[in-house]
Amino acid sequence: MIGIDELRNCVGKGLEATKKDGVELEVFASWNELVTMRLNYTSDIPSMGVQEPKSTQSFGVGVQAVFKDKGKVTIGFGSESNNLGPRAVREALRKARRYRFFDPDFRSLPSPAGTPTLSNYHDPAAMEAKDTDIVDLGWKALRGALTAFKEKGISKSIIVGGDVCVLKEKVAIKSTMGIDEFDESTILTATITTMVENESVKGTGWSTSTHLQGFDPEAAGREAAESAMRTIGGKRIPPGVYEVIFSRQPVTDLISHIIAPSLSLSFLNASNTPFLGKLGKKVCSSNLSIYDHGALPGQIASKRITCEGLPTGRTDLVSNGLLVGFLSNHYLGQKLSNPVATFEPRNGFRLHALGRDHNVQASISPTNIVVEGREEVPKEKLLSGIKEGVYIGRIWYTYPINGMAAGDFTSTVIADSFLIRDGEISTPLKPNTVRINSNINHIINNVHSVTKEKKATLVWAAEEAVIAPEIRVAGVRLDSIATS
Amino acid sequence: MNKRHKSALGIETLDEAGETVKESIDYANTLSGCKYADIRLGLAECKSASSENGTPKGMEEEVKISFGVRLVAGDMPAWGYYGQPLGKADLRRLSKTFRMGINKAHQRALANSRNKAAMKELAPSLSPVRLAPIEVRQDVIPAVYEEDPRGVPLKEVLALAVKITKEMRAVSPCVKFAMISLGTGISRELFQSTEGAKIDQSTALTYAHLYVVAQKGNTIPETFIDHLGEQRGWEITRGKNVYGKSALDFALERTRDTVELTGADFLPSTDEPVVVVTDPNFNALLVHEIIGHPTEADRALKMETSYAGRSWLLRGLTDNELGKRIGSELLTAFSDPGMEGYGYYKYDSEGVPAKRVILIDKGIFKGFMNGRESANIMGMEPNGSMRATECQYMPLVRMTNTVIAAGDRNPEDIIAEVKDGYYVVNNRIPSISESRENFRISAQKVYRIKDGKLVKLYRGGGISADSRDFFMNIAAVGNDFKLFPIPNCGKGQPMQVMKVGNGGPTIRSKARLTGEYK
Repeated sequence: MIGIDELRNCVGKGLEATKKDGVELEVFASWNELVTMRLNYTSDIPSMGVQEPKSTQSFGVGVQAVFKDKGKVTIGFGSESNNLGPRAVREALRKARRYRFFDPDFRSLPSPAGTPTLSNYHDPAAMEAKDTDIVDLGWKALRGALTAFKEKGISKSIIVGGDVCVLKEKVAIKSTMGIDEFDESTILTATITTMVENESVKGTGWSTSTHLQGFDPEAAGREAAESAMRTIGGKRIPPGVYEVIFSRQPVTDLISHIIAPSLSLSFLNASNTPFLGKLGKKVCSSNLSIYDHGALPGQIASKRITCEGLPTGRTDLVSNGLLVGFLSNHYLGQKLSNPVATFEPRNGFRLHALGRDHNVQASISPTNIVVEGREEVPKEKLLSGIKEGVYIGRIWYTYPINGMAAGDFTSTVIADSFLIRDGEISTPLKPNTVRINSNINHIINNVHSVTKEKKATLVWAAEEAVIAPEIRVAGVRLDSIATS
Repeated sequence: MNKRHKSALGIETLDEAGETVKESIDYANTLSGCKYADIRLGLAECKSASSENGTPKGMEEEVKISFGVRLVAGDMPAWGYYGQPLGKADLRRLSKTFRMGINKAHQRALANSRNKAAMKELAPSLSPVRLAPIEVRQDVIPAVYEEDPRGVPLKEVLALAVKITKEMRAVSPCVKFAMISLGTGISRELFQSTEGAKIDQSTALTYAHLYVVAQKGNTIPETFIDHLGEQRGWEITRGKNVYGKSALDFALERTRDTVELTGADFLPSTDEPVVVVTDPNFNALLVHEIIGHPTEADRALKMETSYAGRSWLLRGLTDNELGKRIGSELLTAFSDPGMEGYGYYKYDSEGVPAKRVILIDKGIFKGFMNGRESANIMGMEPNGSMRATECQYMPLVRMTNTVIAAGDRNPEDIIAEVKDGYYVVNNRIPSISESRENFRISAQKVYRIKDGKLVKLYRGGGISADSRDFFMNIAAVGNDFKLFPIPNCGKGQPMQVMKVGNGGPTIRSKARLTGEYK
């Protein structure tokens, strides 16, 4: 493992050794490791339990440079992997010089802007966790699920899948503009799915933490099994327009696949968002607010600094129904700011599959997205007054089916869902029988109420965590599928 | 290779690494309880450039190196894995790095085995890892190209990217955003196993990835993203590709289409199925989602339940669709890594020779793509379908060039025979139910067919159907087979984004129209 001091030494000495070249420089070094225990247990098919105990890690240095040749400004980026010595920085700079080009939209490298609020928020124990201990965590998740099934006398037709992951990240950045920062984080996630196949039910459970203490994969496994068993005996519903409660996973799916991208300057830059030209205008129910907050203590997507060396913090996106901001990095924030709108660069991250990565330049990524209601209610009140509705607990393959700008989306209801009758959760909804065909503008403009209780929620392959409430939405179109 | 690489680090660098891989795999074989191990070492050299709206946005030449170890060990044999990217500095210490990876994989396998044995009472189906036997091969496969990617100047790549987006913008004032990323490169992968397999395989890759947005007045912007590419050299950008068009002409055609669509009405939805004719490009995504993924054995064996779902073709080992009719007699589908395309290779990431797998034969479901472990569970022969996007990642069962086979009908006749229906052109975005028993897939363009003629263009539309119904209703299959590059098939955890080939001919069936939300 590479220590944070080694990364800081790399960027410090690297900058010192290369700045005599007379260029503006930003030197970024990272080390990260992702340890994954991927589960697969099938009671009726030979299986491995923990199918894939694995890890991958990377480290190295990336250099962003600004060259001024006879009044012409060019920029370039280069990186070098698995080396943190002065030679690595020089080699990355050589590449940056070689690949430099003129970009009319480039203004400057980032300058220091404020003080980060998070410090020492990672878990040294998680950072040092032994491989074999993490293998054990995977098996604990499986044990939790199977014990819950056994307690209810279910031993056949069981599937347990998902993963337990430990992501360890360290970065340091120093620039000729005065940035000199570092960051260390640990993220622990257990995301478990179970099924009782002959009952066609699927359940989800998860545990997330920044520290080993409080991280409970066994509870996630148990929650997934209990959730699946709760939906045994599901019924179909006729197609129609329903009052719907979206639970946390569907809220997260909608945020991660539709709303967060639409609220990013990357999509605004391409004119590919349903919120084009709507900054400062009402875009949804006044009961809904959405913000990104990368400095929330204890939340798994929190970071001390962005990968541009700037403090993370809160970026309001939608406030009581008004569109008030977009997620931004330094480059696009400078490009798209104008006399009436500025964008704080709190979301410039160099994320790759394995975490913060020296090989890539900073693009825009959400952190913790918080969804709030102006008047939040307990869950019972959310149900109150619904004569006939649907509680949707898990959706899948949620995509902007006609392009992001159109706002149309579709997805399938696959688990954890129930009918609502006379203000109460009643019969389970049979999984995989309902497709949502709707438009995101319709959804966010018909928010009836939002719960006070929230939970950090992840969906597969998403970068961000959503601090998700449950949301009641009026008039959602649900279609019947898989009738043959 | 027809040209020497100028850089100090190129695929030739691996010439000297083969012996170290061999020594390392021999070392793995000496570890306690080791039943099997393999090592993959890969190096890819690629140059790429991107441009937006006629301005440069980036260019680089990169060499990516990585390795991965798979190891089975323990009294109740279990997997242990390790992988990581490498840098130039690592090439001097390969042996040490490999041993570190092997030791980590070994420790994980032993811990995994101990846990598995301890859980057996609570989880009776837990089983030792067993790999189906294969004929062990040693082989060298060179890359295929006409214009060596390594000989293409990076500045030429950037210049072409800038020229393309400049001309895209010039198509119409309606074009609000034009972006392209262009790349060309060559990669090489060494594979050795404790069974004695030794494969040295190289491939070339050239691609153009396109993104265009057009807007008329204040209407909803029309967007389209498309991809051109082959596992070949720079000649791809000059027209030697499935479209028969240069990268520039391809981009301009897509741009003109997008501009045209800004003036089109949105497609209305229907409650009942209508006659639809789907073109080869649309069918590429259809076959990808509805035939390709559900015929991957790991998905069928429920290993993907937590991520991208199960397969409607296999409920259990004895309760499945094998040998049963799932489509009309006109439907035949197969997966063939031997065809030129994004799914081309000679050996998979387990060193198994690639071969054509018949998936559906005249409407009867025939089999799954598999790996050695899943083949053993299903009692089938391994068919060489395991791949990883980079060596640091673990191989998964992936579709290859997975296609619907050509029929014998003239595609124009297939349209001409329709009294009242719709022609669905070019794929866009899929949404699939959990076991892929139902789908909604959008198209770039939908035309109304009236009395055999295309009479009106719509935007924002697609089709939705239950998979079996759609296949059973196939009434015509064209002779215009095409194989398209799909660059972004996501699978696994962490997600691996794989290039695969998908395609087919024109097809006529029935489906509901899905259009603009109202």
